[in-house]
Amino acid sequence: MILTADFVDAQSVAAAIQTLRARGYGAGEIDIFSTAPVEEAEALLERPSRMSLVAVISAVVFCLSAIAFVYYTQHDYRIVTGGMPIFSWWSTGVIFYEFTMFGSISATFIMFLIESGLLKRRGSIPAPRLEEGRIYLRVVCDAGDSVSSVECLYEAGAAKVDEMEEQA
Amino acid sequence: MDTAVATRTDNLRATLWRPLAGFSRAYLAALVLTFLLGAWGLACWGYQIFRGIGVAGIRRPTMWGFYLVNFVFWIGISHAGTLISAILRLTDAGWRKPVTRIAEAITVFALMIGAMFPIIHLGRPLVFFWLIPYPNSRLLWPNFRSPLLWDLTAIVTYLSGSIIYLYLPLIPDLAELAQHSTGWRERFYRLLSFGWTGSDRQWHALERAMHRMAGMILAVAVSVHTVVAWDFAMAVAPLWHSTIFGPYFVAGAIFSGIAALLLVMSIIRRLLHLETYVLPVHFDNLGKLLFLMSLLWFYFTVAENLTTWYGNSPSEMNVFGSRVRGPFAPYFWIMILCNFVLPFLLLSSRRMRTIRNVTVAAVTVLIGMWLERYLIILPTLSYPRLAAVTGFYKPTWVEISITASTFAAMAMFYLIFCKLFPAIAVWEYKNDSHR
Amino acid sequence: MAIDLDRCTGCEACVAACHAENNLPLSDPAEAEKGRAFHWLRVDRYYEGEFPDIRMKYMPVLCQQCEDAPCEPVCPTYATYHNAEGLNVQVYNRCIGTRYCGNNCPYSVRFFNWFEPEWPQPLELQHNPDVSIRPGGVMEKCTFCIQRIQRVKRDAKADGRAITDGEVQPACVQSCPAEAMTFGDLNDPESKVSRLAASGRATRLLEDLGTKPKVFYLQRAK
Repeated sequence: MILTADFVDAQSVAAAIQTLRARGYGAGEIDIFSTAPVEEAEALLERPSRMSLVAVISAVVFCLSAIAFVYYTQHDYRIVTGGMPIFSWWSTGVIFYEFTMFGSISATFIMFLIESGLLKRRGSIPAPRLEEGRIYLRVVCDAGDSVSSVECLYEAGAAKVDEMEEQA
Repeated sequence: MDTAVATRTDNLRATLWRPLAGFSRAYLAALVLTFLLGAWGLACWGYQIFRGIGVAGIRRPTMWGFYLVNFVFWIGISHAGTLISAILRLTDAGWRKPVTRIAEAITVFALMIGAMFPIIHLGRPLVFFWLIPYPNSRLLWPNFRSPLLWDLTAIVTYLSGSIIYLYLPLIPDLAELAQHSTGWRERFYRLLSFGWTGSDRQWHALERAMHRMAGMILAVAVSVHTVVAWDFAMAVAPLWHSTIFGPYFVAGAIFSGIAALLLVMSIIRRLLHLETYVLPVHFDNLGKLLFLMSLLWFYFTVAENLTTWYGNSPSEMNVFGSRVRGPFAPYFWIMILCNFVLPFLLLSSRRMRTIRNVTVAAVTVLIGMWLERYLIILPTLSYPRLAAVTGFYKPTWVEISITASTFAAMAMFYLIFCKLFPAIAVWEYKNDSHR
Repeated sequence: MAIDLDRCTGCEACVAACHAENNLPLSDPAEAEKGRAFHWLRVDRYYEGEFPDIRMKYMPVLCQQCEDAPCEPVCPTYATYHNAEGLNVQVYNRCIGTRYCGNNCPYSVRFFNWFEPEWPQPLELQHNPDVSIRPGGVMEKCTFCIQRIQRVKRDAKADGRAITDGEVQPACVQSCPAEAMTFGDLNDPESKVSRLAASGRATRLLEDLGTKPKVFYLQRAK
């Protein structure tokens, strides 16, 4: 059963989240929808992120690939220029740096697309249509528990709660 | 509270979305004019490719001319977005809100224009792709030791980073626009908004990504203009081979970037009727930053010129004398006037920092910074070490046309941008509406 | 190469010979006035002293074929690099015309083809078949007449002998009436050019830049 409740202010949303957490619902089943970020809700729902880790790994991978690539290409056809060594860290260091940054930038963007769920479109639970000034809370609850959950949501200050069957 | 919030949002949308609807006569005229001028520039470039780069005024020994000046100038302008958006986002400065998207858009367009110039100035532009490393029948890779390759990687990285940095905070606005539009606009915005639903996961990911991007784009921006500076500093030409060039150019870029931002802000504020969002305090704050950068630029200029003059090396003094007393002297002193004296007078006190004064200061800085790029490139090339080859550069109509057309192109890109997307990030203003 | 400045009369026969040998494009007066004339080898004139005690010094300046050439590392397409024989070679096909090398040369000996080269009729019949015609948009400079070096090497190999000293003569060296120019193998300590380079009269141009040029100018020590 999918419950969608709409609230008018952030405090009531926060209260609702706390109530639902107390009833045993995890952060994975609760979603908040709004036209602007809601700080109180974000503080209560932990969303673990691997963005930093992936960005760092990607940066390292890109850096090493750049070094390997430049090393390979400089040695592939050894051309002497101006008495400089065939491969030197200093004369190509900028390139490694830029590739590192490129790696971390692209990783951050891709992780954003993944973690925000923007990339997976299929089979996602439909989201409520956003109206100004309203914050929507959506929780996936068990069929048996839905009635009392609805009551709790109204108690917390929801203006309206809709129920919907989950699509298989 | 519900109605108050709704009204506030309606006002928000009314003001910030109004430019997106309809085409006024003035807008169409401006679009057509800038398009024609931009097309003229492209035509001149086509003529140059057809006839040969000799139609430009460059010659021996001044083998680089207006095109390189413009290249450095536009890449410098592109540091507008980085400074404002990234640093202010990192320091959580609230007053950045109306300014960030304008700045980020300037960055992307200025970069696109600036990145064209290395291709325009090539003798054989049709084979510019040889700079890109790919396995080829020549059995050759590009020379990664060359500062021009460093340029290529830096600019490509910065361009992709800037586009991402512009796009990310645009997504929530695009979703909202999609919801309230019909027809082709709705399809366009929906496609671009990538299915944004406003869930807290998405907000979380967005804010995280923005925070990281801010830091990274800052690091890239510093490196980009340093690398552009090293195009010159790595050469052994007199007065180019200076260790200060990296920081000098970065400071100059941020300087001209803020000036460009102020100019665009001023114009946008007037044309799009954003007087309630872009407030005098923004101009005051940015004016203070402009003043600070003017002082920093002056410090670097004094340091550079004093050490040159004191060192008294003959080949360097030749160039130095030409800048200060010789044929380039008028430009040099106008540059000092535009970059230091006028900003000092117009920006040093709060009373002076009115919107008009700050805009005037920004325009003078832009002129001054273009002259500064000119004065870095041309005097050194005109006075080579072996004096027998001294020669002076005179731009031709081709170079002047292409230079003018880039400004028109920038205006055109901006006109199109402001017609399709709100110039101010609407969602950043809504944070207060839930309290 | 060694150039004896005390013998040079400034006649510029070397310049003319270089033009003929290397298919240098001719510039029309308008282009020449804009500073686009091609002189791979140019004769710079220096005046020393005050009137009436003026002394003229003629200095033929050509590509110094620097050992640590500043023009080489900055070319993004490896169009100029150092070959195994120690020559700074210019590969016309690779050049995309960024002109960074031209800006970085402290001797200003590099020339750029601003347009497609043209020769007024019938001068295009005079071209040297051993030297390629450069297209518009590429850089060029003195090559120490590499075509002559190659020809001598081929002939010597065909005859099964070593190259004798003085056998390779670039066009400028060959045409100098005052015999002011000498060309040879600097690696061979017995060659005339090595002995001249080791003499007390040998100087190099802009030596303090560290480019290690291979052209030695002989002049009486001050």
